[in-house]
Amino acid sequence: MGARRPYMRTMSKTSWFMTHARFKTYMLHEISSVFVALYMWLLIDGLFRLAKGPEAWEAWLSFIKHPLVVVISLIAFAFFVIHTMSWFKAVPQAMRIQQGEHFVDGKLIIGGHYAALGAFSLFVLILAGVA
Amino acid sequence: MARSAKAVPWFLFAAGGTITAFVLPVMLFVTNLAPPVGLFSEAMSWETMYGFVGNWLVKLVLLGIIGFGLWHAAHRLRVCAHDFGIRADTVVAYIVYGVAGLATLATIWALLMI
Amino acid sequence: MSKRTIQLEVLRYRPEQDKEPFFQTYTVPCEEEWVVLDALNYVKDEIDRTLSFRWSCHMFVCGSCGYKIDGEPKLGCKAFLRDYGDNIRVEPLDNFPIERDLVVVIDDFVEKLQSVKPYIIAKEEKALAAGEYIQTPAQLKAFKQYSMCINCLLCYSACPQYGLTNQEFIGPAALALAHRYNMDSRDVGRSAREHVLAAHEGVWECSFVGACSVVCPKDVDPAGAIQQAKFTSAVDYLTSMVGIGGK
Repeated sequence: MGARRPYMRTMSKTSWFMTHARFKTYMLHEISSVFVALYMWLLIDGLFRLAKGPEAWEAWLSFIKHPLVVVISLIAFAFFVIHTMSWFKAVPQAMRIQQGEHFVDGKLIIGGHYAALGAFSLFVLILAGVA
Repeated sequence: MARSAKAVPWFLFAAGGTITAFVLPVMLFVTNLAPPVGLFSEAMSWETMYGFVGNWLVKLVLLGIIGFGLWHAAHRLRVCAHDFGIRADTVVAYIVYGVAGLATLATIWALLMI
Repeated sequence: MSKRTIQLEVLRYRPEQDKEPFFQTYTVPCEEEWVVLDALNYVKDEIDRTLSFRWSCHMFVCGSCGYKIDGEPKLGCKAFLRDYGDNIRVEPLDNFPIERDLVVVIDDFVEKLQSVKPYIIAKEEKALAAGEYIQTPAQLKAFKQYSMCINCLLCYSACPQYGLTNQEFIGPAALALAHRYNMDSRDVGRSAREHVLAAHEGVWECSFVGACSVVCPKDVDPAGAIQQAKFTSAVDYLTSMVGIGGK
């Protein structure tokens, strides 16, 4: 009687994130890093071509306009939006602002971030449109 | 247990995450989504862009975006590798941070040439 | 009061006779206002005396009745049957060895909890006659949320990193409690907790999945606490690096 024999259930180390909806959401924003890395690489390449001269720059621009690149860019845009939304959502947890005996409402902090995002995006769009 | 050096790349990751969250959607729109439909063709021309990036303040801002973006992506890719079951964390760390470091240097080099 | 009949699928494991766990289904006549723990107690009292599970207070204070209910870590006393269908699946918490049926071995957590020194380490022990340690309501507010933990281990069950690291990660509740004492104005024990908190297995193994905070029945938000602890220990790390460089 009574010999202990604890049973450990195993967990898949490579597909665990398929077991719950919130893990899939988490992996989506983690995978956004692949597209951030690709975009940074594209930008650095663009800078080198910009330095090289108008012809090299034109080649970069026509690469951007290639249908396959456009499709990847659209996917990247979706991932960037996912990254932005998940990042903003996490801010009130990571950065609590205490005023006396109260914390500033998390919704206010998130709202402030979206307002700043809107203002900055508008500024860039106007800048690009005026140029 | 020893104190982990992960503190340093984490700082870059966190800063990069914040910067990319604000900047990347609109930036990708201007550089990649607008040109195919003929938007902002003036702004994206070589003359305008060369003049714009020639400003040292713009260079500094670009270095900030690309540099922090690189380190943000690198750190997150390291976590991704772990989440996909790759246990060689130290090797992964050397690769992703190594590439991010080299790419940061390349960015500085490119900016200095403009 | 309306009656309702549910099928309760419970993961059984009897170490003296079962090679591995298996599901056993019980048909349970329930009252509408019952919680899953009531259904389990009905099984124990009326159907199968051999079923083992932990419980005590029945009012989300003791933290004993954590099970995985329909795939989600929950307190059995807080999971109302009205929120579930007629088929309810009850399993032991993930990431812990199963001792028997729904009872898991929690020794690993207890060890981790002790390692973060979850008690006030005061600058100097005062004699009782010297009076209380004064704290303002604002100072209390700074950490109060993180002090609500009842050690129910739902967060450890929900945390993929605890499983992915083969239980090496110190984990949500212990780290949140370490942070709770670090934030306490009466405490000076931060450096005594740092070797655990700032270790690789400490806050740095957390990738902010955030599941711990979602499942916490006391709204402790361990994920938030850990991110804040990452920030303070990163600052500590950098300043000590600069300190070494300056000498």
